[in-house]
Amino acid sequence: MAGKTIWKGHIRFGEFDLPVKLHTAVKEERIQFHLLHARDRVRLKQQMVCAVERLSVPPEEQTRGFEAGEGKYILMDPEELEQIEPEESRIIEIREFVRSSQLDPLFLERVYYLEPDAPSKGYNSLAAALMETKMAGICTWTMRRRSYVGALMISRKVLRLTVLRYADEVIHAKSLGLGKIPLSEKELKIGSDLINQLTATFEPQKFQNEHQKKLQNLIDKKARGEKIAILRPRRLRPTPSGKLLQVLEASLKKAA
Amino acid sequence: MKKTHSIKLPAKLSAKGEHEPAHQAIWSGTISFSLVAIPVHLVRAVEPGRISFRMLHTHDNSPLLRRMVCPEEEKIIPPEEIVRGFETAQGRYILITDEELESVTPERSRTIEIIEFVDMEEIDPVYYDHPYYLIPSKGGEKSYTLLAEVMNRTSKAGLAKFILGEQEYLVAVKSAEGVLSMITLHYSDEVLGDDDISNETTKTDNEEKNRIKKLIRENTVEYDPDKYADERSGKILDLLRKKARTKGYVKAPEIEMEEEGEGPGDLVALLRKSMGKVKKADD
Repeated sequence: MAGKTIWKGHIRFGEFDLPVKLHTAVKEERIQFHLLHARDRVRLKQQMVCAVERLSVPPEEQTRGFEAGEGKYILMDPEELEQIEPEESRIIEIREFVRSSQLDPLFLERVYYLEPDAPSKGYNSLAAALMETKMAGICTWTMRRRSYVGALMISRKVLRLTVLRYADEVIHAKSLGLGKIPLSEKELKIGSDLINQLTATFEPQKFQNEHQKKLQNLIDKKARGEKIAILRPRRLRPTPSGKLLQVLEASLKKAA
Repeated sequence: MKKTHSIKLPAKLSAKGEHEPAHQAIWSGTISFSLVAIPVHLVRAVEPGRISFRMLHTHDNSPLLRRMVCPEEEKIIPPEEIVRGFETAQGRYILITDEELESVTPERSRTIEIIEFVDMEEIDPVYYDHPYYLIPSKGGEKSYTLLAEVMNRTSKAGLAKFILGEQEYLVAVKSAEGVLSMITLHYSDEVLGDDDISNETTKTDNEEKNRIKKLIRENTVEYDPDKYADERSGKILDLLRKKARTKGYVKAPEIEMEEEGEGPGDLVALLRKSMGKVKKADD
């Protein structure tokens, strides 16, 4: 079942108008720990601390500054920043369309399921059009005083709005400066064969979070005062470059 | 990794307010597929953005740092004095050490073992959570390049599970531009169904559908993510320029940043970068 409605808006493109509800698509419930002071087990809080006084600073004494040089700031009130955001308008405006395969997964932040806010032929028409063209609509909107860019996509019969990260929030792969290492065609061929051998269908339900159960076991054991056996993490010996081809061949044999 | 580091908040959390050097390793270990093992480290792929603000103290404009504080002593608590506790009742905790945590699944805490490969396009985007990059460590460059290249050739992603701190993550390892990225995935039981989302109207208006398809064709572009980022940052830059003209700058008191990981060198580099961007936009 889809999550709760978090917002309502209108998808708009020229004359086209479609009222929708945004539902959350993910719900995470995992074991939570708290950070404590070792000495007296007092629960710690994450706070903003003044770098000079080393003391917590209450929210009303916090302001934002843009650092324009070393130790040189331009002050900015949150209200001023809000003013430059477009007004909260409930309009999710489709700006243009792109091939959905062009969207880099690194940019996808989270998905909302869209439900028509009233029975609508428009919903079905838009869904079918996106499905048949394999396109995604790039949208902009303002929700809770923040501007978003997102992709309107289709999965089976349900429209989805995927929030995209802004380009300046994603570090470019190129900026990592990794060098090119020459590889022989034989190494690449065997490597590709191996990957094809190890390929399966994407079935996420095969992968359960077993760790949660184990973590709960650990907590129960500790609660009973049992001693926990400390196990060293497994470390693999890196494959030496000179033996890569040999190891690939052995892997392929094993996989076959 | 030193012991004191392992309790640090994951990058996902700390990326919110404070500047952190971009290529600092969050984790180091091995990524493996079949019998091939590649030493790698994990770095961030997401940063706060080009124009990010620092939180300052209104009194003297000194920068604020995000720190763990004891509310009773009102003191910053250094990492070596912090322990992890599971709350069993109000104010009662069971303490869990890093070593005990690592012992839960020792085979996965230092190894990202690719269990199988899947066609990249088969992964439903609803599963994607948070991306990182994997960088080869010394001696792993060749096998790293091989894995990146063959995954690219075959358009595959590798699925793996690995443990970071308190969590076990299901991850997809993918390759682009010779670099491996690793995206954490939601577990299937965390992804909510969409079966209950229905449209009471089952009819599709073919005429309207064709009209929309025509609109789509007429408005199709190559995706340029920079455009939208520039649109937003352009407005903030305009505002900053106006503020600099009318209100000028304030000066923060000189401080010695003794914190590791955010030493002055990295901070200055980051600021220069953002300053360069402002100047360029000013031209």
